Amino acid sequence: MWQTFIIQPMVNLLLWIYDILGHGPHMFGVAIILFTIVIRLITWPLNASQVKGAQGMQELQNDKEWQDIQKKYAKDKEKLAQEQMRIYKERGINPFASCLPTLIQFPIIIGLYQSIIRAMAATPLDMLNLTRTIYPFQNVENIIPLNSVFLWMNLGRPEGIPLPFEVSFLPNGFPLLAIVVALTTYIQTKLTMPTTPPNSNDQAAAQTAAMSSSMSIYMPLMLGWFALTFASGISVYFITSNLLGIVQYAATGRANWNNLLPGGNKKNAAKK
Amino acid sequence: MQNISGKGIRLSVVRSKTNLNRKKIFVILLLTLVALTLSACSGQPLTNTWPGLSADAERAYLATGSFIYAVDVTTGREVWKYPAEAGNSLLFYANPVLTEDGQLLIGSVGTTHAFISLDPATGKENWAEPFAGAKGTWVASPLVMNGIIYAPNTDGFLYFLDMNGKQVADPLELGGALWSAPATDGELLYIASLDHHLHIVDQAGSIIGEPIDLGGASPASPVAGEDGVYAGSFDSTIGFASSNGDFQTIAEASNWIWGSPVLDGNTLYFADLNGSIYSVDVSTGSQNWDELKPDGPIVASPLVAGDQIYFGSEDGVLIALDRDGKIVWEKTVGGNLYTQPVLSGVAILVAPYQAEFALAAYDASGKQAWTFIPVKE
Repeated sequence: MWQTFIIQPMVNLLLWIYDILGHGPHMFGVAIILFTIVIRLITWPLNASQVKGAQGMQELQNDKEWQDIQKKYAKDKEKLAQEQMRIYKERGINPFASCLPTLIQFPIIIGLYQSIIRAMAATPLDMLNLTRTIYPFQNVENIIPLNSVFLWMNLGRPEGIPLPFEVSFLPNGFPLLAIVVALTTYIQTKLTMPTTPPNSNDQAAAQTAAMSSSMSIYMPLMLGWFALTFASGISVYFITSNLLGIVQYAATGRANWNNLLPGGNKKNAAKK
Repeated sequence: MQNISGKGIRLSVVRSKTNLNRKKIFVILLLTLVALTLSACSGQPLTNTWPGLSADAERAYLATGSFIYAVDVTTGREVWKYPAEAGNSLLFYANPVLTEDGQLLIGSVGTTHAFISLDPATGKENWAEPFAGAKGTWVASPLVMNGIIYAPNTDGFLYFLDMNGKQVADPLELGGALWSAPATDGELLYIASLDHHLHIVDQAGSIIGEPIDLGGASPASPVAGEDGVYAGSFDSTIGFASSNGDFQTIAEASNWIWGSPVLDGNTLYFADLNGSIYSVDVSTGSQNWDELKPDGPIVASPLVAGDQIYFGSEDGVLIALDRDGKIVWEKTVGGNLYTQPVLSGVAILVAPYQAEFALAAYDASGKQAWTFIPVKE
């Protein structure tokens, strides 16, 4: 199932893009970037619903009716939940809409990682497995093996810029890409972070904000660690995906640029 | 009343914090799960391939994962293994090479990219330290000629070492990953590359002419013929490259050709990933038999021994053919037979990938003599 519906289409799409690009040096990196754009386009409606959901949730924090029910049913959780659900329904807001695209990202990340490793075919067995993955209508004997060089990187290996001295915990050198991955992930997460109204009694809002705050720390660290450890092709995907996410969110005009600064979340909320 | 209300608020705050902690734990668990999944995907990719095998009259030398095993070919018992303990620094799957001066040479795909020499009798290291000057790993076996070790590496360079493991010349960049041992006609070296080309090099390390375009990647060694070599590729063709750089296609297969062809007199035997087996008279270019497809895909090179030709299939079947293409016998070995069968005395040795045993010996009638199962660490 995983092989047929995730790995095989991804590998073939990557190879097809790579072939179209002329399969020269650096082209597999460009293929990953274009592939990411295609994935972003396919998941655009989901991302849009995430943006819409996040915006709706954010607007709710400043909504009088929403604030009233927080106060009114502060001691009656069940009733509060019912009222919240009613408002969600009335306003057409799906409180889980912001989670779905993130969850969908995971199989894509895992699939893409496996696809890159499969396409790179570092060992004879990998190469043999690659031949089994290719659709019969693809003529790939001209393009295999793929040229794994992209800029200064080997896309099949973790990235690192050689240092003039040895650092035991940085066996691959200075991890520039991992830092860029962590940074762009941080920016994307922060931009989409909901603001917390000052002195808010809304526990749900506080929870959401705290969750987002946690995510803005854990996600960059986790993806940065992925970039540090795994094939640099996956880092190219992360960075492209993050940049597209930032652009997509910024295009709505709702990006909280103040969130990028320390304490920006609170200042932003206070303005409102 | 105030007290009760206060307790209620505290309780609510406690619940809220509990919910928050649960969500945090959920997020951390989810991310950890992804990390573990990706880690599982990566595993140790370089170890994950089929074994290398060679033999002399007394022992088989099996390179599989962390170890090289010497196995007594009469009893199937382990004589020695190298290294003593498994580790990521040394991993093997090239075919070990025995030299005339009594060395067993093999490169590693482990983290140190070490190229080592062992004593075939004891498994002890011969050199003071391994050669570790290559940027890539050693998938290919070396060729030893006139006291020089010609070692192709996945970094695209051909390395020149003396018999003590010291570099005698600067490495020669050929391009593409080099996965197969050079072939020689006694004068020149012919090196197939994944860059779709066959490179011709003289013994001094100078490139002769332009690389020959094979039309596809060539993961296996060419086989020496008269004043040239026969080489197959993923282009599903096999051709003859002469020492002056001319190339002529002599046969077409129905799928990619992976394993090296074998030349026996004027007959060239080879197989493809469709599982078709071919026999071509190189003097006329004609096929000796109609389509023969006894079993699954064939990756391994065949072995010609006595009156029989042995092919191992991906489905784990060892096939013995006579020279007319008639199947003499078929034996299910198990696992996948990606490694070329090797002859030691009268024993046909096969090293299956992912089978219940790592090595097995058969006689010419197809009777299994023994199997070798390494002791698990």
